Amino acid sequence: MAMRMQRRAGTARATKASPGEEVHLLETRPVLPGYQLLTWAAQDIARKVQPGQFVYVLAPRAPGLLLPAVPVAGVDRLAGRIRLLISADTGHEALWSLRAGDVGRFEGPLGRGFEIDAHSRYLLVVTDVAGFARVGASVEEAVASGRQVTLLLGARTAAEVLPSSLLPDEAEYVVATTDGTLGHHGSVADLVSEYEAWADQCLAAGSTELLTRLVRLAEGRRARMGVAKLGRKRRRGPEPRATVSRRRAWLQLALPHQAGCALGVCLGCVATGERGPLRVCREGPAFAAGELRWETGS
Amino acid sequence: MTVDLAPRRRGGLRLRHPLVVAAGGAGYGGELLAAVAAQTPGAIITRSVTREARPGNPTPRMALLSHGLLSSIGLQNPGIDAVVQRQASRWSASTTPIIVSICADNAEDIAALVRTLDMQPDIAGVELNLACPDRSRGGEPIGLDVEATEIATVAARAATDLPLIVKLTASAADVRPIARAVAAAGADVISAIAALPALALDPERGGAILGTAYGGLSGPAIKPVGLRVVYEIAQAVRLPIIGIGGVASLEDVLDYLAAGATAVGLATAALADPFLPARLADELAAWCEARGISDPGALSGRALPRRRDRGSLRSGPFAR
Repeated sequence: MAMRMQRRAGTARATKASPGEEVHLLETRPVLPGYQLLTWAAQDIARKVQPGQFVYVLAPRAPGLLLPAVPVAGVDRLAGRIRLLISADTGHEALWSLRAGDVGRFEGPLGRGFEIDAHSRYLLVVTDVAGFARVGASVEEAVASGRQVTLLLGARTAAEVLPSSLLPDEAEYVVATTDGTLGHHGSVADLVSEYEAWADQCLAAGSTELLTRLVRLAEGRRARMGVAKLGRKRRRGPEPRATVSRRRAWLQLALPHQAGCALGVCLGCVATGERGPLRVCREGPAFAAGELRWETGS
Repeated sequence: MTVDLAPRRRGGLRLRHPLVVAAGGAGYGGELLAAVAAQTPGAIITRSVTREARPGNPTPRMALLSHGLLSSIGLQNPGIDAVVQRQASRWSASTTPIIVSICADNAEDIAALVRTLDMQPDIAGVELNLACPDRSRGGEPIGLDVEATEIATVAARAATDLPLIVKLTASAADVRPIARAVAAAGADVISAIAALPALALDPERGGAILGTAYGGLSGPAIKPVGLRVVYEIAQAVRLPIIGIGGVASLEDVLDYLAAGATAVGLATAALADPFLPARLADELAAWCEARGISDPGALSGRALPRRRDRGSLRSGPFAR
């Protein structure tokens, strides 16, 4: 059965529309206590996936429950491989105990990933450990397309910092730890101001606290940078509430898929958008910061 | 494997097999049908629709628990007129019976909703959801009160000749008088159960996980409750029952049929795997064939006590 694909604004937005693809586990690698990197042979998904998109695990899984979709943390298109970074508490206990050679069944790629402007040369990626899985593929793809990438990673302590081997050699890797045991002492958001003038765009994932702070920083960036408002003169009066262009947005955020059908049907994974509820599994998981309403805690 | 849930209605409510997607498991039907192609369920009961648009509940709306799912969607929907306008063409293209679920706080709205659906040529039936929180009753579902249930069912029945399904909640201390009121008011089918009111807390924050604090618990955790309610309804009334709650395997299907269900509904599991209802129907057909059973209706009610023994239930722990 052919996967139904919808093309919009140059980005694939797929639906869960087939019994999925049989995938083979090639390698499991513990990267941190409580985190494993699983490398799967998944030809079809690897060919189609865009950074920020995810897969839905049909097997192995606990029956009868809506599980979180799993972001694709890395992709090797030539070899037809994808990498999933799973943690012990994501609801995918069935994946945790797998070994190389085991077989699974995934649906995907699902959702709408990051949209990077073709003119963007310098990309800032900000995340914490839990959010890395949602931005990891973006770093790889951006480096492969010749962009300069800096990844800012926040962790509680040095023992929880992800190894640099998860990133391409060309990417700059900067760490902040809450207890100061490695890199900057404090929040990773403290580092953003050093890069905001350099970066053409910023992609982020992580805790609500981190994303909220980044949104606040991005709101004031235009004023701090003194960026002129270019383009056609707008008429006086309130700003029209047109759809925010993700491709042009300086800050894009990938939200976690907590649980749900990943089909756009259950309405369980919605985030609060400026113009109403937005489904993380269909309209997201990547959003322009301006699409989301933050004061209500989305 | 054909099942007719409303043989007394003109045209009936004929299903190719007894596995249906319950409300909440398939949106408005079109999304699921597009996904599963030929592997269709026996029928699709849509997400519950209200007379006016509702924005839904604040986020987070869903939490994964160890054996169930806690959700609080808040009946997000664009209102009956918009739903009909957007979905009518999809419903008419569907060969799978589409049953539209409605939810309202009062008899006037119920009648208006049903009248709107009665004018749609491609709807196979209406499900009156009496299990959702009723804002005018302080959040208490209509289905907890015998009199309110009867009034609501009468209002729906008077507005249509379509097969009428009434969905009951497991929260009632004794569901039997409520089921009898539904039957007396002219319903054709009873569906049960809806998600159970529940709460999940975040130990780190010390607060509720969901934006609304309370949610509806669904999934495997509620199957024993669903079985109990279907078992009781089946002994109280002679209406066909759609048994819902925690169905994810052939064993669950057989259990619900044995408890007295005529058809079995999947919601949470169908969202997780849209192909599951059709797959379970195939497994049920194979199971029946292996045992020489030609009519799955013969499986219905096998676990029920024989009729002369049923009085003993009245002295049970749930007796009133």
